[in-house]
Amino acid sequence: MKDKAKILIVDDEEVVLDSCAQILKGGNYQIATATNGNLGLKLVKEFQPDLVYVDLKMPGISGFEVIERIRESDPTIVTIVITGYATVSSAVDAMKNGAYDFLPKPFTPDEFRLITRRGLDRRRLVLETIALRREKEMLRENFAAIVSHELKAPLGAVQQNLFFLADELSDRLTDEQKNRFERMKTNINDLINLILTWLRVLSVDVSKIRENFHPVAVPLVISKAVDGVQPQAIRKDIEIVTSISESLKPVDGDEGTLVETVINILGNAIKYSRPSSRIYIKAEGKENDVLVSVTDTGPGISKEEIPYIFNDFYTGKSAPAAEHGSGIGLAVARRIVEAHNGTISVESELGNGSTFVIRLPASKSELHGEITLETNGSVKS
Amino acid sequence: MSAQIMMIDDDPDFVSGIKSILEKADYKVDVAYNPKDGFQSLQSKRYDLLLLDIMMGRGAEGVALARKIRKDPKLKEMPVLIITGLREQIAFLFPGQSVHPNFVETDELIEKPVEPKFLLEKVSTLLKLAEEKKAKTLKQGRG
Repeated sequence: MKDKAKILIVDDEEVVLDSCAQILKGGNYQIATATNGNLGLKLVKEFQPDLVYVDLKMPGISGFEVIERIRESDPTIVTIVITGYATVSSAVDAMKNGAYDFLPKPFTPDEFRLITRRGLDRRRLVLETIALRREKEMLRENFAAIVSHELKAPLGAVQQNLFFLADELSDRLTDEQKNRFERMKTNINDLINLILTWLRVLSVDVSKIRENFHPVAVPLVISKAVDGVQPQAIRKDIEIVTSISESLKPVDGDEGTLVETVINILGNAIKYSRPSSRIYIKAEGKENDVLVSVTDTGPGISKEEIPYIFNDFYTGKSAPAAEHGSGIGLAVARRIVEAHNGTISVESELGNGSTFVIRLPASKSELHGEITLETNGSVKS
Repeated sequence: MSAQIMMIDDDPDFVSGIKSILEKADYKVDVAYNPKDGFQSLQSKRYDLLLLDIMMGRGAEGVALARKIRKDPKLKEMPVLIITGLREQIAFLFPGQSVHPNFVETDELIEKPVEPKFLLEKVSTLLKLAEEKKAKTLKQGRG
């Protein structure tokens, strides 16, 4: 804060206002005062203070309400309670409601200066945190753009030329040479896909997903996801058992990304399960949420690992050697679920399988039109 | 008679590759390397299909051209196949979403790198669809 810090004092006692202003005079502050809550709130808008002192006991609207309203209009403004009757309990109540500190009356000039400084430090930190967070987001997005341009585009061009060459030379190449072309294409394709997955982690743009939110039927999401992983499951002779409770509410969301999330969790379950085992996927309503859980009988996840598995680029230690992943599937799943105002969690014990639970708030609106489910018999609706 | 295809793309390597694939499949292909020349050619001669690159020049100039074509009474019936490395440009697209819904109306969209077989499939499908649509409108016109 290079400019003078702005302090607003709201108190019905002129004496308090005068003495506060007097104490801070000469410091690097700009001060405004108000003798009641309504005037105070008006000044919050016009004066835009960094710090507001609020007396709890005032005629008209109470200090509690003033704090509440300030927090609603700008939660970064620091509020400090002046409590005349020096009851700690009311100060604690106010702090529970968002006040940062309290100033018991009577106070000495030093106490007042100290609390003011602390309050302003707090305000500075809050603003800095917000700025840093914004910067971090921008870095992430910029990095995604750079990776996309500098790596993906040239690889794409190489791949394109391989396609052309293989096509143009197709009458002249031996089978062995054709195979070599195929291997090159596969290798480059793998690389491109790897870059795309990285980009995905870096650039899952929450606000973009939210633009397309509408009520989505959970059974439909599950049946699409199960269809998506069926080939993998069949290869390992794994049976996916679906159970969906009746009259399940829809969720507000983006169908494509939800399907992707469930595919991700199911894919993991298949990856870590022993051949010829079963995976259970269940959907049920709980309070105002919809819970989708995926249970496998795989090796489980150790307690030490659980806190990290939803982080970017973390790969499980218990993964079979042949099943190397990029370590970002669950991180993407977490971002997507969080964009839907939901949570994703896991319960697991080494040797006893894992259960991943996606919890999404149920939609308040009904589904548009009738839902038709193309099922393979495993989904009830 | 073989179909007449117009291709507008500013990457000469890409153009020559695609052209050779299409010509081998017996299509007649004309080429323009920028939207301006491309639009002129489209107005001077009748084409059955347009292959259009989205990212040309200083940005998405292909989009502007696609919009112009959609407004042109003579050209609006012509199928447009958009070829693009665009997915990396628009912040992010999810699987199953062909293109940003508010972006541009298009008949088909394929991404670079383009596999020859895939391209030929799309081209022949689009030509067939356009043919059927034309036959239908003619019938309706008579009836």
